[in-house]
Amino acid sequence: MTRYALGIDIGGTFTDVVLFDKEQGRRLTRKTLTTPGDPAEAVLQAVDQVLGEESIPPAEIERVVHATTLFTNALIERKGARTALLTTEGFRDSLEIGRERKYDLYDLAAKKPRQLAPRDLRFEVDERMLADGTVHRPLDTGRLDQIAKDLENADVSSLAIVFLHSYRNDSHERAAGERISELLPELAVSLSSDVAPEIREFERASTTVANAYIKPLARDYLDALNERLSAREITAPLLLMLSSGGLTHVGEVRRSPVQMLESGPAAGALAAADIGRAEGLDHVLAFDMGGTTAKLCLIDGEEPEIAYRFEAAREIRFAEGSGLPIRISAVELIEIGAGGGSIARLDGLGLLKAGPDSAGAVPGPVAYGRGGELPTVTDADFALGYLGAKGFAGGAIDVDLAGCHAALDTLAGQAGLSPQKLAWGVHDLVNENMASAARVHIAEKGRDPRNYTLVATGGAGPVHAYYLARKLGIKRVVCPRNAGVASALGLLLAPARVDRTAAFAAEMDAMDWPVLEAAYQALEDEARQVIADTGKDQARVQRLADMRNVGQGFELVVNLPPGPYHQGSGKLLQEAYAQAYQTHFTRQPPNVPIAMAAIRVRLTAPLEQIVDDLAQRPDQPNPQTGIRDVYFPETDGAVETAVLDRAAMTIGENFTGPAVVEEAESTMVIGPGGRFHVSDSGNLVIELPEEPEENP
Amino acid sequence: MSKLDAVTLEVIWNRMIASVDEAAKAIVRTSFSTLSNEANDFACVLTDVDGQLLAQNSGSIPSFIGTLPATVRHTLAKFGSEGLSPGDIICTNDPWQGTGHLNDCSIVRPIFKGNRLIAFAATASHMPDIGGRIRSVEAREIFEEGFHIPLMKILRAGEADQTFFELLRTQVRTPEQTEGDIYAQITANYLIEDRVLAMLGEYGLEDLAALSLELNGRTEAAMRAAIREVPDGIYEYEMQTDGLAAGAPFTFALKLTVRGETIHFDFAGTSAVQPRAINCPFCYTYAMSAYAIKCALLPDIPNNSGMLRPITVEAPENSLLNPLPPASVGARASTGHYVPILAFGALAAVMPERVMAAAGSPLWNCTQSGVRPNGQSYASNLFFNGGMGATATADGENAISWPSNLSCTPVEVAEQYAPLLFHYKRLRPNSGGGGQYRGGLGEDILIESLSDSPIAVTFMAERTRYGAPGLAGGEDGEVGSVQINGVEVDNRAQHHLETGARIMIATPGGGGYGSRQDRRDDHVQTDQKLGYETKDAT
Repeated sequence: MTRYALGIDIGGTFTDVVLFDKEQGRRLTRKTLTTPGDPAEAVLQAVDQVLGEESIPPAEIERVVHATTLFTNALIERKGARTALLTTEGFRDSLEIGRERKYDLYDLAAKKPRQLAPRDLRFEVDERMLADGTVHRPLDTGRLDQIAKDLENADVSSLAIVFLHSYRNDSHERAAGERISELLPELAVSLSSDVAPEIREFERASTTVANAYIKPLARDYLDALNERLSAREITAPLLLMLSSGGLTHVGEVRRSPVQMLESGPAAGALAAADIGRAEGLDHVLAFDMGGTTAKLCLIDGEEPEIAYRFEAAREIRFAEGSGLPIRISAVELIEIGAGGGSIARLDGLGLLKAGPDSAGAVPGPVAYGRGGELPTVTDADFALGYLGAKGFAGGAIDVDLAGCHAALDTLAGQAGLSPQKLAWGVHDLVNENMASAARVHIAEKGRDPRNYTLVATGGAGPVHAYYLARKLGIKRVVCPRNAGVASALGLLLAPARVDRTAAFAAEMDAMDWPVLEAAYQALEDEARQVIADTGKDQARVQRLADMRNVGQGFELVVNLPPGPYHQGSGKLLQEAYAQAYQTHFTRQPPNVPIAMAAIRVRLTAPLEQIVDDLAQRPDQPNPQTGIRDVYFPETDGAVETAVLDRAAMTIGENFTGPAVVEEAESTMVIGPGGRFHVSDSGNLVIELPEEPEENP
Repeated sequence: MSKLDAVTLEVIWNRMIASVDEAAKAIVRTSFSTLSNEANDFACVLTDVDGQLLAQNSGSIPSFIGTLPATVRHTLAKFGSEGLSPGDIICTNDPWQGTGHLNDCSIVRPIFKGNRLIAFAATASHMPDIGGRIRSVEAREIFEEGFHIPLMKILRAGEADQTFFELLRTQVRTPEQTEGDIYAQITANYLIEDRVLAMLGEYGLEDLAALSLELNGRTEAAMRAAIREVPDGIYEYEMQTDGLAAGAPFTFALKLTVRGETIHFDFAGTSAVQPRAINCPFCYTYAMSAYAIKCALLPDIPNNSGMLRPITVEAPENSLLNPLPPASVGARASTGHYVPILAFGALAAVMPERVMAAAGSPLWNCTQSGVRPNGQSYASNLFFNGGMGATATADGENAISWPSNLSCTPVEVAEQYAPLLFHYKRLRPNSGGGGQYRGGLGEDILIESLSDSPIAVTFMAERTRYGAPGLAGGEDGEVGSVQINGVEVDNRAQHHLETGARIMIATPGGGGYGSRQDRRDDHVQTDQKLGYETKDAT
């Protein structure tokens, strides 16, 4: 019998495990510290504990879904494989030259991101495709034999091959890959035509080299994890979360691990989307705040939006442009250097700053008593009474409140503010930083924040959600159960999903329709095979295309009507383009011919269902567990405030703030006048007062 | 005022910056010009009622420092605050009152709270086309450079001036897109107004006066404090550059006076205005001067007017750095990009650790026009960059845009767009000036014409005769070069490429810093290993 689903999310600080019992509609959760040296160790510990608690037989686990920041961290810390790059003769420096832009205009020492393949490991071979995919110079296979020797001598363990125009004609890349694999069977090889078959040599190379850089690591880690789960008699297939919010099998990630870089944030967005569905919300702003960063993601309708490019491993202050461009499908979200560990300080103008530098897990906030000396956002949240020392993080951390106050007092003295004002200032400022980033992102999408409901997850999300919502003019906040491990829960919801792309350059007026149709079908067949390999037989097919007006330098990714396409489809496709153009640029496209640059398909299996049986909840007459002094800006001082136990709240009963609602992994703060209740779906729903009080 | 403590000020300042950043996203999203939506060649600002800058969008390039607030002050001077009404939109592309060339339109919207004028929203953006010759340095007077819009109301109380728009549409090659981009800016200005009024409501403020006083006061104090750290004195620097022809270089001269808490730039001794579109209007000279000081002294603080107050600039009238009408100014960057280098050269005497040796800038460009095999004509514009200068602590970055921030066009995109074949685009070994820290490398590009018909090419190329000077004993960067079929050509003239002809572009390296003898052995070895320096180099 298979009645359990297991979600595993490895983050930078914590590893979260959720076991869902489908038969009883119950969830068991476990948070444990990540073990960076051997990440599988923490996973197995947590799994053992969760299974051991109720003596659950491992064979009853139907599937295991996994997300991890492991590969992202390998990029950030530059701890991947010794990686080489092979390019068309004359172009080994494309990776280093990049787009010739700076991410900081005023920092004279600002550098381009460090290359994952240094110049002495970048090789060239005589070969050349033209822009239309015809061969200009044949591949010099003889030279490859010498390069293989050089690779071996240089002790390289992974190779990226990026030839010009390979997105149009991949035959040289394939031939080169095959020849080198023959000579060096142990070498991991990544082809750009396989990993990111898109025009623009720098971005394609950046993506392919990143893939090569983490490929041996991914292979070893996934094989080991699989093996160790099997040794525990967990024989259910291991499925992996992709940055796009879809699932795939181990083979696909072994081939292209770069697809997994944003797996954790994608799972968080999926969880928020599911909560939105349960609450009947059309517009959700997913807000996940952890120790180091906060992520914000707009969800209109059923699913988060997908972007086709993002930056990994931003080196400097999370600044745009300081990371490695990656061209894969990924849930579209923004990440801000704002978390519980963000450090508060005064800048050169005597103004207060919070973040983006973080105390991280070590030394951590002062309150954690692990050697942190600089006051952080978490310290301010303790001082304001938002967080309670008793039973914090399920009792795992012994909170040093005295140290926390002392650190804040020092900073308050420097700023000439009362300690309370300073603590509120830190809380308010980190909210403002997140609100500013959200406003700019929402403006970029042409939307209005006031139409959204904020869904708060992550350890610090519920603590900051109420006043963040107020800044954005958002009237409603939803905080799910187990908000602190929401990403791991999101894993259990994810559908199997495959994204595939191929170059296809053609002007719409001169389209060869049978060729286009055949190209789409070839991609769909390939994608369908991956879906089948994950054990699913049904999938929704979405066709997309990268299109532009002739002469424009950028393409729009357009959702297209379903196929098959033929001569008569031209009008429909042009209309789809016009609509996408209107949405993106708020205007009609110019009256210029339209061209297609690439085609894409997305296959999605049906969503998994996670339905909690809320009838089993223990209803207690009074969920209030105590009273403590809590600061609110509306009262301009600390007031006695009710502390409620989340698990003891009755569905449908109405409460009014101020209040703090606690559960093991997080705390929800509700300001004066905020009305809240537990909904039928088990989520905490908070309505902000109609007229926000004026700020102090 | 007790409301404006260290927290409230920071929160409100962030909010004002977010409002102009939001406007910037709106411009990226709605403009046709690829220079706006790919290269950030635009700016959005909020000023107080007197035209003092409160916030400028985070990504805007240095050319716009101080220009929009000046345009707001020109607006006040021309119309007076009593001559402005809600719903008015004021526009100009006058190089002297705007940003230094006709291609940028500056648009100002007065912001009223009730009936009271309290602030200005202003934006500047590069137009898809403004008429006249396209990107040609050959223009001798501004009249050749396009449609010239004096400072004028193009909307009065929300009502568009149809005569203006009809004239504009008639003068440009892309009427829909140029007019569309002006409306994109107007939308962005409106957005700033909306956000600012909402913020004032939320914080119960009547206007921005107290905020402006406090914020500009703090940044002014910070800049003054930073300048105080620079020893008083007069620091001079002179540099020669290519000029229009061999043997007739331009001279750039700077006398920098640091006295107490102020810095004064005097460019006396700089060459005279030229009958080519490389003259740099004073507003651009000022922006580049202030940029250099900000890089050296206060890189982390957001732009506003207070920061600029202790910095004053003068340049002789009708010199390259202060041309008067009707001088042609389209390619002002070819001259203006030298300005920060002059400032660094002068400051190096007293604070070498805070500045940089000269970069292989101004930016390079190769414009081609031709006919595709299908008979369609095309024009394409490729940007290239040299190496950064070295600093007291690091080698210069290789091939990077500075002080501007223009992306290069990918080779694959360039080849798809035009009948060209790139043979290589690679770093240029040995081009960085030697030193304890080496200048950044330039790049070598070899492009062959695959076109059956001739392609006309023009260039923007600098430092082909005078390399980027090193600092503190560092050597000069290698000069750049433009060759056709292996022969150096006059890069100020137009050329025609026959089928199979090859253009070789080599961009200049950055200057080195400190003496070559002091270069660490491991750095020398790394350079050899990575091939940045090759053994046969002398």
